[in-house]
Amino acid sequence: MNLAQVLFYLMAFIATASAVFVAATKNLVRSIFMFFITLFALAGLYVLALADFVAITQIVIYVGGILVLILFAFMLSGKETLNTIGELRSKFISINKLPALLLAGLFLVVLLNMIFKLDADNLGWVKKAQVTHNMILPNSSMTENIGINLMTKYLLPFEAISVLLMVALVGAAHLSRKGRSA
Amino acid sequence: MNNFLQAIDTLTIKFTLAAVLLPLLAFLINLVIPGKHNKITGWVSTLAILFSCVLSATIFSKVWNTGHLVHQQFAWFTVGETQAYVGVLLNNLSVLMLLLVNLIALPVHIYSMAYMKDDAGYNRYFSFLSFFCFSMLALVVVDNLVLFYIAWELVGFSSYLLIGFWFSRHKAVQANKKAFIMNRIGDIGLLTAILIIYATFHTFDINILFGDHSIIKAITVYNRGEWYSPLTGSFTIPGVSYHLDDIWQFVAFIGIFLAVAAKSAQFPLHTWLPDAMEGPTSVSALIHAATMVAAGVFLLGRVYPMFNGIELNILAIVGCFTAFMAATVALTQNDLKRILAYSTISQLGYMVMAMGIGAYSSSLFHLVTHAFFKCLLFLVAGIVIHQMAHIRDDNKLDIDPQNIQNMGGLRKKMPLTFIAALIGGLALIGLPFTSGYLSKDGILIQAFQWSQGKGWLFMLIPAFAILTTWLTAFYVIRLITKVFFGDLKLRERFPNIKLHIGDGGWRYAVPLLFLAAGSLFPVFSFNPFSYEHSWLYHGMFQTGATAGEGLFHVIVPVGVNIFSVLVIYAAYRIYAKQKTNPFSQTSMLYRLSANEWYFDEIYKKYIVVPVLAMGRATFRLDRRVIDGFIHSVAYAGMALAKAAMWTDRYIIDGFLNLIVAVVQSIGNFARRFQGGKVQYYIYSMLVVILVIFILTTLI
Amino acid sequence: MISLTDFLVVSAVLFCVGLYMIVSKQNAIQVLIGIELMLNGAILNMVAFSKYDRINNGGQMFALFAIVLAAATTAVALAIILNVYKQYKTIDPGSINKLGD
Repeated sequence: MNLAQVLFYLMAFIATASAVFVAATKNLVRSIFMFFITLFALAGLYVLALADFVAITQIVIYVGGILVLILFAFMLSGKETLNTIGELRSKFISINKLPALLLAGLFLVVLLNMIFKLDADNLGWVKKAQVTHNMILPNSSMTENIGINLMTKYLLPFEAISVLLMVALVGAAHLSRKGRSA
Repeated sequence: MNNFLQAIDTLTIKFTLAAVLLPLLAFLINLVIPGKHNKITGWVSTLAILFSCVLSATIFSKVWNTGHLVHQQFAWFTVGETQAYVGVLLNNLSVLMLLLVNLIALPVHIYSMAYMKDDAGYNRYFSFLSFFCFSMLALVVVDNLVLFYIAWELVGFSSYLLIGFWFSRHKAVQANKKAFIMNRIGDIGLLTAILIIYATFHTFDINILFGDHSIIKAITVYNRGEWYSPLTGSFTIPGVSYHLDDIWQFVAFIGIFLAVAAKSAQFPLHTWLPDAMEGPTSVSALIHAATMVAAGVFLLGRVYPMFNGIELNILAIVGCFTAFMAATVALTQNDLKRILAYSTISQLGYMVMAMGIGAYSSSLFHLVTHAFFKCLLFLVAGIVIHQMAHIRDDNKLDIDPQNIQNMGGLRKKMPLTFIAALIGGLALIGLPFTSGYLSKDGILIQAFQWSQGKGWLFMLIPAFAILTTWLTAFYVIRLITKVFFGDLKLRERFPNIKLHIGDGGWRYAVPLLFLAAGSLFPVFSFNPFSYEHSWLYHGMFQTGATAGEGLFHVIVPVGVNIFSVLVIYAAYRIYAKQKTNPFSQTSMLYRLSANEWYFDEIYKKYIVVPVLAMGRATFRLDRRVIDGFIHSVAYAGMALAKAAMWTDRYIIDGFLNLIVAVVQSIGNFARRFQGGKVQYYIYSMLVVILVIFILTTLI
Repeated sequence: MISLTDFLVVSAVLFCVGLYMIVSKQNAIQVLIGIELMLNGAILNMVAFSKYDRINNGGQMFALFAIVLAAATTAVALAIILNVYKQYKTIDPGSINKLGD
């Protein structure tokens, strides 16, 4: 067991544990901050999956953008709102949570079952990539390749997603205007 | 000549109709006159009866003893082959009764205007009185049995109304119920008799049935008592044969007898009359002394030809018994009106007995004379009672104004009344120079003649008749002595009472004088000692009645009257002493008399109680068995309905409800997926996905 | 060497936790967080498989796009949540079952 595996299990543990905590906690603020941890741990997992650019993007956009947005939206909307929203009336396990838990558990069982049946490391195209060395190695730098691909092969999705992002931001700004409701 | 007679007849009929209908008109007018105490009603009724009286006098003068029968009729209705007529029949008997009723009714009306002047029901009183007069007048002039029966019922009904005139008094209500029920028994008898007669002869016409040349007379002359195959008679159709068994003839007789007994208060059905004295005294005078009770005797007079020998004997025995029984009861009564009531029963008994012994004319003669003097006595009693009531009200005493034990010495206060009472009383006893002598002696003499040669048993009837005469003398003198002689008994108990009493006004005096005059001999015969010289007797004389015989004409009146005078003297001696009860009150005979021979008790015990018990039993039968059956049917129906309802509710409705519930629960279940809860949508969706996953995995 | 299965297991766990939060939470913000968790699970999947596509980098590209989309989604969703709160005074998605007028 090398260091990478240790780190992976550590990160995986942190991610799953914090995610469970997010789902289980009664306090919204705590759950949001614990979500930070999850996202950081996930970023670590991306690094371990040899996708460092995605990991950076994850931190920048998720942690710096989304989570901050959530926090700001949560905290800037007045004390009254804060109290109401922060109030979590439910317990982790209660009668009306039970079906959801059951569903989630069953889903997990099904997914795991499928994952183990799939045996992803021995898929045809994975084997073929290993043979043709079409695989990322820990020492190769992919950022440059991503930049070229983004501007050539994925130009149309890139433009579309940027327009979408702008529309979404304008829409969000419009929706959250004070005074007149949408 | 014939045309002339026809014209006179038509006029007479018109007069008759007017005389009968005037009181009815007065009744109708009185009904619409407003108020309860309107003096006009009295005048209306009195004027009506006055005109009626004048008219009937005219009719009387035209018809009486002319031998001419006025009979007019119109077709009324047809039943099967029988034509019923409505008409008027005037013969000696009818016109005599017509005049008599009017002559008695007129003074009573005048008297009533004074007697009832303070009564609250003045209007009602005169309405009823006019109605009664109409019924009674109609009764005497109608020409067929159907109308006769109607009038008979109307008379009973108006009598019922007047007995119960003071309907707020319990006793009056009881009395009129009793009178009505007793009269119903008689009515059933009359109806039965009418139906039997109709079934046999197919006609209701009185003239055809009982007239001078009638069917029944022809039959009875031919073969007395058995009604079949008449060979003669002007009304019979040759070849047509009527047949009736003896037994049915006897049933018809019993029916007639019951009717007579009920109306004229004869032995088995007499008890209503004393109780009927609860009505106003003027009513008692008119109805229960002079006119209505005479209707029974009148009926006997109408249907006289139909009786055979045995039946006449029964009539004689019953009449005699009634006369004697009532006289003994009258001996001990203390109620002024009750004494007179029993006296009336006794005299009616004489009349029925006279009919029975064949003294047809004497019976009707006695009917007329009795009407006058008994009416007079009742009016006197009314005045006395009124004055006693005055004393009671003035001095606030608690006494019975009708009790003769409280009276006495009224002679000095009310001389006119006293004289009237004396004349009436002597006429009742039958002393010479009074009308009563003429008629009663006629009956007695003929009774002796009748009993001659028939065996000693038949002698009992004249013997008891004479005994009754003496008893009559005794109680009349007792009455007069107690009321008018001596001193007022009340003074012994209440020494300080004030007396403001007298004879009253002209409305009292005129009727008394009129009736007193009618109670004296010259009105009927100029010979005060011989009834056979009376015009009335001759007018009624029928062929076949026994002619007078010399010996009895002397012995009977002399013997009877000498002893009567002795009785009068004895009675006067006894009662002038003013002792309340000169005789022992405990002897068996006294109690028998004072309790009116226990008839009421016997009837109550043996008839009223069993009838009521039977009524209750039938009621119970009705309730338990018949109603029970109906109820059980009803219950069965209801149970069936309940079962049906249960089936309907729980099976049919239940099925529908089940479907509804299933649909509803499905709907409710499905609704939850569309409840607008986003998470629920997601949940459902995920479940479906999960299921698909699991299924694909497993299969 | 970290196997793909390990990544898939982690992503499955994250996905299921997110799923649980979406279905059960009565707070719209937590539901939003649940969505983010699921997205992250999916992104992790793509990132893990993109290891075997060095030339085209499809997995990483779509992970990037997904992250950006998630940012846009979150912004709009938060705006909507605030407006919903103004309208209904609650952000329980179960209670919001009426259309605004």
